[in-house]
Amino acid sequence: MQRPDWAPETIDVERPSVARMYDYYLGGSHNFAADRAAAQAMMAAVPEAPLMAQANRAFLRRAVQFLTGAGVRQFLDIGSGIPTVGNVHEIAQRHAPDSRVVYVDVDPVAVAHSREILAGNDGATVVQEDFRHPDRILAHPDVRAALDLTRPVAVLIVAVLHFVPDDDRPAELLRALRDALPAGSYLVLSQASDDGRSDAERAEAQRVYQRTDSPLSVRSRAQLTTFFDGFELVEPGVVWVPQWRPETPESAENAERAVFLGGVGRLGG
Amino acid sequence: MGLGGSVGDGPDARGHAGAFARAWAKALAGTSYLPMTHAQLELLLQRLTDRLAEALRTEPLDLRVGHRVGTELVAAHIASAEALGRTVEVIQLRLVRDLDLVADDIDDRMARLLAAIATGYARALRDRTLDEQESIRRAALTARADAERALRASEARFRHQATHDPLTGLPNRTLFGERLAAVLDGPTSGVHRVGLCFLDLDRFKRINDSYGHSIGDRALVAAARRLSRAVEPHLVARLGGDAFVILVERSTGTGDVVAVAEAALAALAEPILVGGHDVAVPASVGIVERRVADTSPDDLMRAAGSTLHWTKLAGGAGWTLYDAERDRREQARQALSAAIPGGLERGEFYLDYQPLTSLQDGSLLGVEALVRWRHPQLGVLGPDNFIGLAEETGLIVPLGAWVLAEACREAVGWTAAVGEPPYVSVNLAVRQVRRPGLVQEVRGLLARTGLPPNRLQLEITESMMMSGTEEAVRVLRALADLGVRIAIDDFGTGYSNLAYLRNLPVTELKVAGEFVRGLRAPEAADERILASLVSLAHALDLTVTAEGVETVGQAERLRAIGCDAGQGWHFGRPAPADHILSRIR
Repeated sequence: MQRPDWAPETIDVERPSVARMYDYYLGGSHNFAADRAAAQAMMAAVPEAPLMAQANRAFLRRAVQFLTGAGVRQFLDIGSGIPTVGNVHEIAQRHAPDSRVVYVDVDPVAVAHSREILAGNDGATVVQEDFRHPDRILAHPDVRAALDLTRPVAVLIVAVLHFVPDDDRPAELLRALRDALPAGSYLVLSQASDDGRSDAERAEAQRVYQRTDSPLSVRSRAQLTTFFDGFELVEPGVVWVPQWRPETPESAENAERAVFLGGVGRLGG
Repeated sequence: MGLGGSVGDGPDARGHAGAFARAWAKALAGTSYLPMTHAQLELLLQRLTDRLAEALRTEPLDLRVGHRVGTELVAAHIASAEALGRTVEVIQLRLVRDLDLVADDIDDRMARLLAAIATGYARALRDRTLDEQESIRRAALTARADAERALRASEARFRHQATHDPLTGLPNRTLFGERLAAVLDGPTSGVHRVGLCFLDLDRFKRINDSYGHSIGDRALVAAARRLSRAVEPHLVARLGGDAFVILVERSTGTGDVVAVAEAALAALAEPILVGGHDVAVPASVGIVERRVADTSPDDLMRAAGSTLHWTKLAGGAGWTLYDAERDRREQARQALSAAIPGGLERGEFYLDYQPLTSLQDGSLLGVEALVRWRHPQLGVLGPDNFIGLAEETGLIVPLGAWVLAEACREAVGWTAAVGEPPYVSVNLAVRQVRRPGLVQEVRGLLARTGLPPNRLQLEITESMMMSGTEEAVRVLRALADLGVRIAIDDFGTGYSNLAYLRNLPVTELKVAGEFVRGLRAPEAADERILASLVSLAHALDLTVTAEGVETVGQAERLRAIGCDAGQGWHFGRPAPADHILSRIR
């Protein structure tokens, strides 16, 4: 949440950050002791956590490859976190060097880190904002400078929505974004789901994330599907992320163990 | 161990190498996130497999190949403990077999090569870990520095907003108050004398009215800029509206502060060009300069405000220096005026009466009610001391109403041995006449007290009569219709339109004392004026009472001229009703 101009903000690395925990799941070292401790607690409760992060990251890669293949050259990655291996601009610009990417994250450390990594890349930039303020994101001068909102944009909100409780009205936030996009734009969503999980696993995961700055809001496939309201889902719809356009049939096996559901929607018209 | 041929290739080495690379890729699945497609991974591992096979075949064994393969794996993000374990496992189990590598010392070569791979891998992973740790720490420091800078900037902005006027950007009342308080904290500030210039643009409201507020605001901004430039380095604050104050710290005397005031006035002397209009911004300044030890912020501000008011009273466009004596007098007047309502409540006011005597037969025709204030500290005060104040403040309305009611209440009890008891004459102030409800008030009083209307006379001033609006005339007619006598007080001191009198419901003229004083010399001009005035009045069917009659001679002449009645020390000083009435009982 954007603080009022006068309110203090401290950078507390003693408090686990979901962005850095995610980096740890992916095998990165862009994290601090508190992040690792929280991630390890999560892995004790849900041993597949690293697998989930990897599967989700692989989904992001396949989705961006699909989008560049579909001709999209503008990407708005909201909740981008620590821009660790295989981030959007690397994938997109490898396929289409003229791709422009704007990363948005609320975590100031993630933003500072992104800024360092993106220095010298004219096609990619980072903005510190919260998904909960789509109006501010869309009005941000750096977003306006990088993206032409009269041409198709792919909005990526990957592994973020489970940190957005229903009280924050995610469907309305997504609608605000959708209303700013021209036809031919895309929406990529993935989020943790507790479909098929035991009660004990749910409770433990909640307990771990309660200590971070972002408690969990898991959702069902039906709920995630409603978030694509106004978009046409591309094949195969909302599925466990390994099942979304897998590269090999084997990689889609035991897909529900990935915990993440994901999908890609296209704005028609 | 021989060269080259000592390690032999099988018939289909390439195909076997492909099988090995696929097995390797499968072994790596799930060990870490691989930012590439499965095909890309196989391609990479195929290349590395070829290099490893080449190394095993080459004499002597080049361990650097092993190091480089380990490094390349990490660089391709195949970078986890599990990935290394699986890699060692799959190479040890399958590489020699899948590629049909044959040599006497193959076990020895394989062990050394695996060790080199693991070493290269571990080194690269360690470096990468350290780099990433450094990078995230740097990001945290940057973020913290950014946050602190933003906080400082926002605190500074917040502080600036709280202490500055948003329109002109000048310090506001708050900041001015803080600076003044700091300066007056003499012992610590080291300042001995301080000065204030309280400045206000003259008739600024007219600028807003004639050009609009937007032009007015822009003129204020320009005036503020000129002011702060002209009096630098002194602090200029905008107190609100078109009021500014300049703080002259470390003054050495009034001269310093006067110089600042003159610089400020000079800066505003030229009109300001705003939106194509030449907007004149003349200003008034009130100057106070004092020893720090003798004053307080409130004192200084109050004194500066009063002094500014004096400049305004003197017509504005200039400065005035604070005058303690004048201030004291005004404060005393202020205090007296403020005490009137309390005095009324506590019954501190009372009436004296002065006789109006017939010049024909010396009989007592009436009395004029004169208000007195028995002030608890100042003793008995005559009307000269407080009626003016009461008129300025509007307190004349309740005070006048009390006088009128008290006069009627007392007069109704008066009796005369012979004929009519005397009427009572009461002065009415302009505000009383202009206020709605006077007629009703008088009618109610007469009804309540039972005083016959013809025993009440209301005195109004000549100027009120002449500037009489339709409404005032209507009120006077209504009063006259009640049967009340109407007299014009101080007649002859202003511009008198006798013709106008004809149309007014007036019964009597009271000629001002100035004319009577002129009667000392026989055949003086005043006597002729008075004589014609009396004949004119009589022609209009008005009676004439002369005020200020002090001598027998004056009384004689007035009688000779035909004047109807006289009032003054010669006939009796103001006194309580009992004293006057004892003459007619």
